[in-house]
Amino acid sequence: MNKSPWIFLGVLFALSLSWWGMVFGPASQANAAKADLGDGTSLHPRSGLAQQGEQIYRENGCYYCHTRMATGGTFGYEIQITQLGADKDLTREIIGEEYAGNKIFEKAYAFQAVAAAQEAATAEGADVEATKATLEQAKAYANAIETEDALIALGISGVTIEGDLAGELGLPIEMSEADKSSVADATFAVSEGIEQWDEIKDRVRALKDRAGAQFKLLPVADNWPDVEYWGARRQSVTRDFLYDVHAMPGVMRVGPDLSNVGARQLDLNALYAKIYNSQAGGQSSHMPPYKYLFNVRSAKEGEELPANAVTVSTGDGVKQSVEPDFVVTPTHKARALAAYLQSLRNDKGLPEAPLPAVREISNPKEGE
Amino acid sequence: MSEEETHNAPLAPEAKPEEINASCRGPVLFLFFSAALWAVQATGVGLLGSLKMHVPGFLADFSHLTYGRLQANAWVAFLYGFAGNAGMGLTLWMLSRLRGMPLAKPGFVLAGAFLWNSGVTAAMVGITMGDQPGVAGYELPAYASRVLLIGQAFIAFSAIITYFSRRHQQLYPSSWFLIAALVAFPWIVGTAHWLLVETPVRGAAQIPVAHWTVTSLQQIWLGCMGLAAILYFIPKITGRELYSRQWAAFGFWMLLILGGWVNLNSGSPLPVWSIKLSQYASALFIFVLIAIGWNLRQTAKGVPLLGSSDLTLQCMGFALGAWLITALFTFGNFYSDWNGLLQFTYAGTAMRQFFAWGFFAMAMFGAVYYVAPRLFSGEVDWACSGTYKWIFRLTAIGAVVILLAGLGMSYGHGHALQDGSAEVMKKALMPMRIAFLGEILFFLSSLIFLGSMACLLFRNCCGECSPMALIRKCRAAEAEGGAE
Repeated sequence: MNKSPWIFLGVLFALSLSWWGMVFGPASQANAAKADLGDGTSLHPRSGLAQQGEQIYRENGCYYCHTRMATGGTFGYEIQITQLGADKDLTREIIGEEYAGNKIFEKAYAFQAVAAAQEAATAEGADVEATKATLEQAKAYANAIETEDALIALGISGVTIEGDLAGELGLPIEMSEADKSSVADATFAVSEGIEQWDEIKDRVRALKDRAGAQFKLLPVADNWPDVEYWGARRQSVTRDFLYDVHAMPGVMRVGPDLSNVGARQLDLNALYAKIYNSQAGGQSSHMPPYKYLFNVRSAKEGEELPANAVTVSTGDGVKQSVEPDFVVTPTHKARALAAYLQSLRNDKGLPEAPLPAVREISNPKEGE
Repeated sequence: MSEEETHNAPLAPEAKPEEINASCRGPVLFLFFSAALWAVQATGVGLLGSLKMHVPGFLADFSHLTYGRLQANAWVAFLYGFAGNAGMGLTLWMLSRLRGMPLAKPGFVLAGAFLWNSGVTAAMVGITMGDQPGVAGYELPAYASRVLLIGQAFIAFSAIITYFSRRHQQLYPSSWFLIAALVAFPWIVGTAHWLLVETPVRGAAQIPVAHWTVTSLQQIWLGCMGLAAILYFIPKITGRELYSRQWAAFGFWMLLILGGWVNLNSGSPLPVWSIKLSQYASALFIFVLIAIGWNLRQTAKGVPLLGSSDLTLQCMGFALGAWLITALFTFGNFYSDWNGLLQFTYAGTAMRQFFAWGFFAMAMFGAVYYVAPRLFSGEVDWACSGTYKWIFRLTAIGAVVILLAGLGMSYGHGHALQDGSAEVMKKALMPMRIAFLGEILFFLSSLIFLGSMACLLFRNCCGECSPMALIRKCRAAEAEGGAE
């Protein structure tokens, strides 16, 4: 390399490669991201206090100790049947004895049998004696299956049983709102929630195409620390920063990740107390106090704390000022910072980042 | 090292080293002394910030002294204050020596250096007032980056004129690195200035821009200046030829191509393809490591760099080792499990500190030790050369402490984050507590560096009008008066 101009040109070319790859490419893609979430809703820019709060967050350098970056993890699929198909034996064969042995499964098909017998009994020109006997037999079988989850069984059976017949089957004659909700939201899991798609795809297709069941696939956090332990609800993605004036994903996690702090920290007073003095109320924390974001004055004797005073609860549940003998109220900056923090949420799923469930068993086995 | 003739055209006459040194004296010493001042500022402010991490209530009532502001200030003071001044001073001297020509337009350098330091000062004040743009690693307010860019342009103008003032010479590899650093800086800071601060792109698009900026400033800008010094001084002091120009060229181009891609966190909220590309670039970084490391190992084969009696060689040996370790860490980021484990821990910050002090600052300390006395007519000695050794020792120990704390203990923090451990806070703070010791050592070494520079200038600047010469004259006059 003897010709000086070639060095210049080469350097420019070499730099331009990473510039195109790491600046232009990703930035163009991020810039083209749409606010539309595909379900009739869309992302909105922050406004008012929350927008001003972003500035307070930035100028104090909060992003050095807090991230806003919930990472991805691994999840499995839980197949949740919402309505069983008509063919019990076929469904049993597809889901396996492990799940078909559950009493909810048996009860649901018993309800289907009752509903079918009832329909046959009330059909025009039916053999009254024969259908009545079949109905009684179906009811007896249904009542013989004892389970506390009868409403779930009813929900996934896909049939409607009301009135006296419901009473005869141990179901509420008049359903409360909670009962109706239990029936409407009933699901019956037929996988552990740790299976990957390749492991369950045959079962899913068989349920859909052969058994005629209705179901949904729920992603369940399997090895996902940020969701399992640290309060995030899903992975942070590019669109979470779409309307940030200054994107501050963060450096270290000396403090907790804040990607979903708005959903966790709904109590504004508690948030103020945390910002004012994170150790107030005897909490263990290494966050520095940000007292300069608050107005502090001495309390007069016998003075009641104003409504906007920052308080903490004592052990016996009595509220007292976060700084004993002083009245502490948030300044505009503190209110803005709190509003910004409460705007940080990732508890709404995005097409590219669905909400996984935190791992728990949807239909515990008997005795659990 | 030799500069072989490759053309038959007659060469422009080469200037004498004394003439070159004299031309560099004012501007380069100004830049070196500024660097020493900023090094103390960087380490002092950094110490204060770290202290707040260990004692959260310390100075908590001062809004201008939050941990975030102090950390930003410390890095700006190091990156632009110390590294910028020292790196550009060395660039000017090395380009002049490598081209065999006196420094062109030294007035431009002085003007640029003044602007540059004004820009850094403006940045420090701006950050203290809460004007940082929110990008860790690039904390320059808009007005500061404008002044820095203009200042760098003045200095680069002089460097480029010097570079083109003599042709028909085969360029020594250090020249490539220096030119790359001169070209890269305005590109990197210009991009960040326009896309992050002046006319910020949408929030989501700022994340890749910020990563590229921060990584490029470290890997390319600092990396090129530091490696240029190592490639220059190791062969020069050992009296050997550089083992291979081809290896050097391969390492150079690979560094430029890959430097801006590497080290992206696997959890970054960015398109998956860019994270994957970054991982592949990190994997390819092993070639940069091998090219630079093998070339210099073969060059200095049989010479114990760290055990050398020459302080510059010791510094360059340590700097080379530190660069190789950080390059190895960069390569390690190819493994997403490793990257995922350490991404939110102190490890990244520790490696940045190790790179900054173990590699770059150490290379600059070694280079300044060699260059500064030669800038005076008749080659003077350091006032207390023994104290300069302590700069090497303290910086080396501090860098090793931070490396061990950052990598070893952050490993525990990473596991605590992944296991949901209740001890996560304790494990997060432990490496920072240990690293605090390293920061104290950096502060001490910076103080000694500043003292040494001040002493050198005090004794030797301005010829017969230097403060020390005047004091000697006064003493002599007093003695004569007393005798009379």
